[in-house]
Amino acid sequence: MTELETKIRAEAERLLSESLVDVVIAFRQEDAPLHPQPAFFTRAEELESLAYNGLCANNLANYLTRYPQETRIGMVVRGCENRSVNALLVEKQHTRENLVLIGVPCEGILDWRRIVALTGENVFSVEEKGESVCVHTRENTFALSRVELLHPSCQRCLHPNPISADVLLGDPKPEGDPHLMRLRIAELEALTPAERNAWFKHEAERCIRCYACREACPMCYCTECFVDHTEPRWTDSGVTPAGMQAWHIIRAFHQSGRCTSCGACERACPMDIQMTYLTDKLNLDMIDAYQFEVGMDTTTQPPFATLTLDDKNRFITQGKRS
Amino acid sequence: MSTTPMKIALFQCRWCLYSPEDQAWVDNDLPKNIHLVKVPCTGRIDPLFILNAVQGGADGVMVSGCLPEKCHFKEGNLAARRQLAEFSQFLDYIGYAQDRVRFVWLDLQDRGRIQQELAAFERTLETLGQAQALATRAPIAMGGAHD
Repeated sequence: MTELETKIRAEAERLLSESLVDVVIAFRQEDAPLHPQPAFFTRAEELESLAYNGLCANNLANYLTRYPQETRIGMVVRGCENRSVNALLVEKQHTRENLVLIGVPCEGILDWRRIVALTGENVFSVEEKGESVCVHTRENTFALSRVELLHPSCQRCLHPNPISADVLLGDPKPEGDPHLMRLRIAELEALTPAERNAWFKHEAERCIRCYACREACPMCYCTECFVDHTEPRWTDSGVTPAGMQAWHIIRAFHQSGRCTSCGACERACPMDIQMTYLTDKLNLDMIDAYQFEVGMDTTTQPPFATLTLDDKNRFITQGKRS
Repeated sequence: MSTTPMKIALFQCRWCLYSPEDQAWVDNDLPKNIHLVKVPCTGRIDPLFILNAVQGGADGVMVSGCLPEKCHFKEGNLAARRQLAEFSQFLDYIGYAQDRVRFVWLDLQDRGRIQQELAAFERTLETLGQAQALATRAPIAMGGAHD
């Protein structure tokens, strides 16, 4: 058990034994070493199985909306999870008073697919030692570099530190480089429209419409999604080019001004489809046009939830932009 | 002049006051290549509606709404402006040219302007050619008004 895990467990134990919260949402190590699972602890005795490491891939803020507002929730949050919680608080999905955020500065999430690609399927255990990651398989031991294993959205992460946690465990990490996200979008924008279209279609055509991206996303909490609506059926819901493309476009667009770029959608995708290139583009547009960055506080409404008469610079009249 | 006319989906706000002659023209004499959809307000236009037109093979989408401060529902057009302007940029990002989505904000005084705008839009579209980037659905019906 790492030092950080001990600290998280002690804090969770304090919250539960002093009845400060009803449930602690964290991770638990189960049989599969590469896949710690989200876990919901309601009694201090259960905390023995609590785990925290670089392979914890889910965004725990996802589970916030599954509890009533009155439930007092303790939650282990990293930078992106903290911002997701803030974005949910803006949308009044819980009350801040009923939340205890256990902040953990994040070193980035390890992509288990990369580990399996490098070491093979039979992974026994994974040890993280600073910048290197030691992977034990049945036959071998691999020493891998942490940076190379990071999930792409974690490589581009801007704010690895929780910004409004109640307790902060561990040392804060340096802030990310905003240039990295811009660089990727600029690369795509530099392509011709036909190339961009081909890229989009290449990604969207592998979709099997399992909606794992939606289920993994903390901001996708609608009780009825537009694709599940049957009367009227707003869009093609089959595994057809029209349906798959509409799903990718509209899902991303519903995230504009709400997505925290945590990358949980990509990590959940069984078909390895990239989709943060869509939401990142929208996030950048929101920053450039409205100076709005998602989840930095709990009061500022996202741009599409507010409106002003002063959008003059973006106003189109006489058939052209004035 | 190309042989196949450009398909245009025209979203018209019900309250966007055209002059009576213009409204009569839109209701009765609209060219066959224009598909008219009347909406209660531009704020009602979900990006999905535009996407459905685009996937149905529309070469261009025109949204005609009320001037700011003249919205029947006070602010519907301001909400639409934010969302739809961003959506057209987003479509551009995945290969459907931004110029193919055009917004016009009309008033009763703009006599005859809807015809001019449609003609100008059609010329723009003819230089861009037919849009194949996202056309994946059965083609939309052409001609006449649809609610």
